[in-house]
Amino acid sequence: MAAMLSIEQLTVERGGNTVLDNISFEVTQGEVYALLGGNGAGKSTTLLTLLGFIEPVCGRATVNGIDVQNDTQAVRRQTAYLPEATNLYGHLSGRENVEYLLELAAVRPDRAALDAAFDQVRLAADARDSHMVTYSKGMRQKVAIASAILRQTPILLLDEPTSGLDPLAIEEFNAIVVDLASEGKTILMVTHDLYGACEVAQRVGILRHGRFVSEFDAAAEQHGGRVSADAVRQAFIEAAV
Amino acid sequence: MSRAIVLRVAREEWRYWRRSRLALVTLGVGLLIILIAIATTAVRVQTEHGARHDMQALAEARFLEQPARHPHRMVHYGHYVFREPPPLAVIDPGVDAVTGTVMFLEGHRQNSATFSPFFATALAGEFANLTPALVYQLLAPLLLIVVGFSSLAREREAGTDRLLYATSLSPLQLWGGKALALTGLCGLLMVPLLLAGTYAVATGESGGATAALLGGYALYLLIWALIVVGVSAWSSRSAAALLGLLVAWIVLGVLAPGVVASLAERQAPTQGKLRTDLEVARTLRDEGDGHNASDPAFASLRAGLLSQYNVDKIEDLPVNFRGVVAEFAEARLTDILNRFAEQRLELERRQSDAATSLSLLSPRLAMSAYSLRMANTDLAQLHQFLRSAEDNRFAFVQGLNKLHATDMSYVDDINRSANAESERRTRLNAENWRLLESFDAPLPDAAQRMDRAWPALLMMLLWAAVGGGLGCYGALRSAARVNA
Repeated sequence: MAAMLSIEQLTVERGGNTVLDNISFEVTQGEVYALLGGNGAGKSTTLLTLLGFIEPVCGRATVNGIDVQNDTQAVRRQTAYLPEATNLYGHLSGRENVEYLLELAAVRPDRAALDAAFDQVRLAADARDSHMVTYSKGMRQKVAIASAILRQTPILLLDEPTSGLDPLAIEEFNAIVVDLASEGKTILMVTHDLYGACEVAQRVGILRHGRFVSEFDAAAEQHGGRVSADAVRQAFIEAAV
Repeated sequence: MSRAIVLRVAREEWRYWRRSRLALVTLGVGLLIILIAIATTAVRVQTEHGARHDMQALAEARFLEQPARHPHRMVHYGHYVFREPPPLAVIDPGVDAVTGTVMFLEGHRQNSATFSPFFATALAGEFANLTPALVYQLLAPLLLIVVGFSSLAREREAGTDRLLYATSLSPLQLWGGKALALTGLCGLLMVPLLLAGTYAVATGESGGATAALLGGYALYLLIWALIVVGVSAWSSRSAAALLGLLVAWIVLGVLAPGVVASLAERQAPTQGKLRTDLEVARTLRDEGDGHNASDPAFASLRAGLLSQYNVDKIEDLPVNFRGVVAEFAEARLTDILNRFAEQRLELERRQSDAATSLSLLSPRLAMSAYSLRMANTDLAQLHQFLRSAEDNRFAFVQGLNKLHATDMSYVDDINRSANAESERRTRLNAENWRLLESFDAPLPDAAQRMDRAWPALLMMLLWAAVGGGLGCYGALRSAARVNA
């Protein structure tokens, strides 16, 4: 299977500190890859580097075969990005926020498609046309997820996507991720939700101080095609110590 | 840069303003002030125009109504000319407000223009300065600042810029959209000015000059829009952008004109009126008194005439020697007065040019110079009025002096106080007063005004380039900071 996301010997420095230290990994089409790690491990930096927001000091990152440094705009057209802090426009409704972001990405969904996406993320119908200032953090997150889904890009980069969601919403979100992967979407998600990650990801990588300390592959595990949450938890704790 | 994307960003900004109470109130108040300024100025200018036009006609009628009398009495009876405000004074009254608008023309003197509307309205306690020119040059940039200061800084502050860039929007597209949004606002602000321009055309102004003036104001607002978005792009926080822009507005809009006026005065100092008048008086002392034909200053004139007509006494001349002296003396005196007047006008022109050359320091200075010149309310227009008035004065005074020389005898003239019959014969028919030419100061056309205004226009284009460059570079720098 072709690698949709590829990072080769990537090193990133910020403020004189090495944030990513010679890391390499690939994510293939239809695969969900979860990056775990403590605060400052370099998870979000990995996503931002793949989006071209951060320039590496060495190494190479490609998205669907496109070198990030060579054509950042083309890379961004291939990816939908869900940021950690869901900063949307408070003066717009959820629907208007999604419409605006999609139109900037040259996507023009009709009202039915928007409602279908909102249904998918279970955003209440009566909230969709209310201004975002009235939304809870979870509702804002759902709007951002709907926007990412509607981009219909082959690749999704999700930074803490379940942050702020209630347990039911997390479960629903995980189901959405599995659905998207089954449709052939490539998903790289950064999360602190260790159990959710093991539920949806085919592979889980643990970063510490910008380096991979462990990687788990569901295909190699004997847990019904899932990564063992216990094993990941153990590795995570060991990495943290 | 995809135009559709840029337009989409602009539309979003317009929607933000429509939902922002601050933007709506600011715009509402701003437009109200603009409309009030235009309406009050239009009424004032139209009233002034009508009054001065009527007074001019009345002054000419009064002159022509004078009964038969000695022509030199008519020289001293004099005449009034009025400076009518040009149609575009409804936008920029310019120097009209602070300089004299009426001049008394008489023999042997070049009087100053008197009665400035500013003085009159200041006495009445009216806020005479609230003109469309002032409002557009000073207030409109402030409106753009209040509405647009956060355009890019807000995105950065809220972190939405990263979300936008992640959609493949480029920094220049984002800057372009924000600049386009503010440019659209400039278009809205231009609507009242367009109405004022239409009114000016309807009252006799050339369409070309009006279009050029409105184009200048549109360019000026665009400069400020670019500065506002540019500073916003450079600022990491909205408050910093607002502070920076307010400082820029105070420096460029409020302080710079005063500083440049002082610099221009230093660069091309003008002589005070008192000193000039003393110099004129000193120079005229060496000239003869035109009322006294026996003045030694006219001895050579007398000798020349006697020789020319081959007679021994001035009583035998075929012309009235007193009239010839009056004509000769008036010409000599006018030459001297014109020389001093032209020196003064040249110094004023150099000072004005010096101020224009310094308008590189502030777009408001460049706009002000451009506006005055295209509206034909600048110093050159005042100078043109002064020269036209002097031409008119000299023509009717010399016309009367010529009548004095040719239409009565010298003997009657010198005996008119002692002899009633002589006095009667020295009264010339009132029909002669028709030599007075109707006063008219023609409006220069658009091309002539542009000849004077292009340096200021060039300065504004430079400012637009600076504003655009500042914004583009700021947007790219801002995007780089997002990345970092």
